[in-house]
Amino acid sequence: MGPRVHLTAGNDLREHAGTDKDCKKTFQLMHPDSNLEILMARYQQGDFGAATDLIERISPQLHRLFAAQSVNRADADDLLQETWLRIHKVRHTYRPGEPALPWFYAIARHVRVDHYRKSLRTTGGERQMEAMSKGAATYPAESDHADGLEALLAPLPDSQREVIEMLKVVGMSLEEVARATSSSVGSVKQKVHRAYKKLRETMSARGSGRGKTEDCRER
Amino acid sequence: MKDEEIDEVLKKVARAPYDLASETLQRVADSIKPSLRPVRPLPPTWVMTGGLIVVCAAVSLAGAARAGFFGFEKMDLLERSLIFPALVVLACVAGNGFIHEMIPGSLRRVSPGALVGLGSAALLSVFAFLFRDYRTDHFVSVGIVCLLTGLLHAIPAALLSWLLLRRGFALNPVSAGLAAGTLGGLAGVGVLELHCPNFQAAHVLVWHTAVVPVSGAAGALVAWMLRFRAGSGARERTNPE
Repeated sequence: MGPRVHLTAGNDLREHAGTDKDCKKTFQLMHPDSNLEILMARYQQGDFGAATDLIERISPQLHRLFAAQSVNRADADDLLQETWLRIHKVRHTYRPGEPALPWFYAIARHVRVDHYRKSLRTTGGERQMEAMSKGAATYPAESDHADGLEALLAPLPDSQREVIEMLKVVGMSLEEVARATSSSVGSVKQKVHRAYKKLRETMSARGSGRGKTEDCRER
Repeated sequence: MKDEEIDEVLKKVARAPYDLASETLQRVADSIKPSLRPVRPLPPTWVMTGGLIVVCAAVSLAGAARAGFFGFEKMDLLERSLIFPALVVLACVAGNGFIHEMIPGSLRRVSPGALVGLGSAALLSVFAFLFRDYRTDHFVSVGIVCLLTGLLHAIPAALLSWLLLRRGFALNPVSAGLAAGTLGGLAGVGVLELHCPNFQAAHVLVWHTAVVPVSGAAGALVAWMLRFRAGSGARERTNPE
């Protein structure tokens, strides 16, 4: 098994090495197995160690993506399991040399949408939609990350939230996000612009709200 | 509040560790272990695009060989040198689009919907430039025969293209169906250009070009129906009552 790098969501390989090309090269030379693309190629060759490494590296990010948009943690666990089964089934569709992260995220998105459609079919449509929207809004408050990313991105629609997560938390480039979301770079830019506008409004409102509360306390 | 400040807040929040139970990871690893064996990755895009072009060309030539190359014989050099290269270029673009629909994480330069529009617009431009006979003899009766002939050849072209990319994984089957239908439609137009000796502008502009959007729509519809059927099947399995 290759050398392990302790990674947390939002603090992944790119955080350490992806922003600076030279740094990335050095990192890859020091840890030849650390590159996701290399691990993916080894996974395609049937290397269980590479598969385990990939699971350990990618799963927290995918779980976070699901947790931000699904009802509860158990659902996110199920989605993660389902995603890896799907990844395993279609692992031959990854082509060596292509970026691996957008490939993972594209499949994860597909599983999430598929799960959402299934749940709409199996339980009453409107009721489920209501539960999902309520759940998405309440989940962060129930979790340990009450003031975390999920709460911060809660006002955004799903499509904008996932783009912000991929771009700002995972550290993917605009092109990689476009690949993962099957859209164009222009469309991603537009979503980011709208998301920032909404975040700006929300944060300003929170800031002024806090300011008013503090003023009242002082009085 | 500035964008940089939002960036900073997002970065700060993102740095917070995200705990995931090791049992969950172990369960995932255990679930894939029994079926872990080497797989052959898909070939490069240019190989698959080449394969799709060969399929479309084969269907077009076979169809025209059966019906006769009357259109090709009647064309002058300018018409031949503009129409067929244009069809090849459009088939390359459509093939590329279809491949990207079948491979997760591909960079989509043209959406399948835009592909249909682009293909139809390009064909309309070429035909409008080349054909100046504005008579409309037997416009509907002859036109429908041409449309049906084009669509009948679009079906095997689309099916063979799908067969060629069967190892792919369509994230959005409807988009993939649209792209496959568009590619098949271009093969159908190829048959018509090789075979049909009717060079009336209205006939070519309406009925020949119509093969592309109609075939694309048919491909999308078939894909949607298959997905719907698969969804209904899953629903029956989970809820037999």
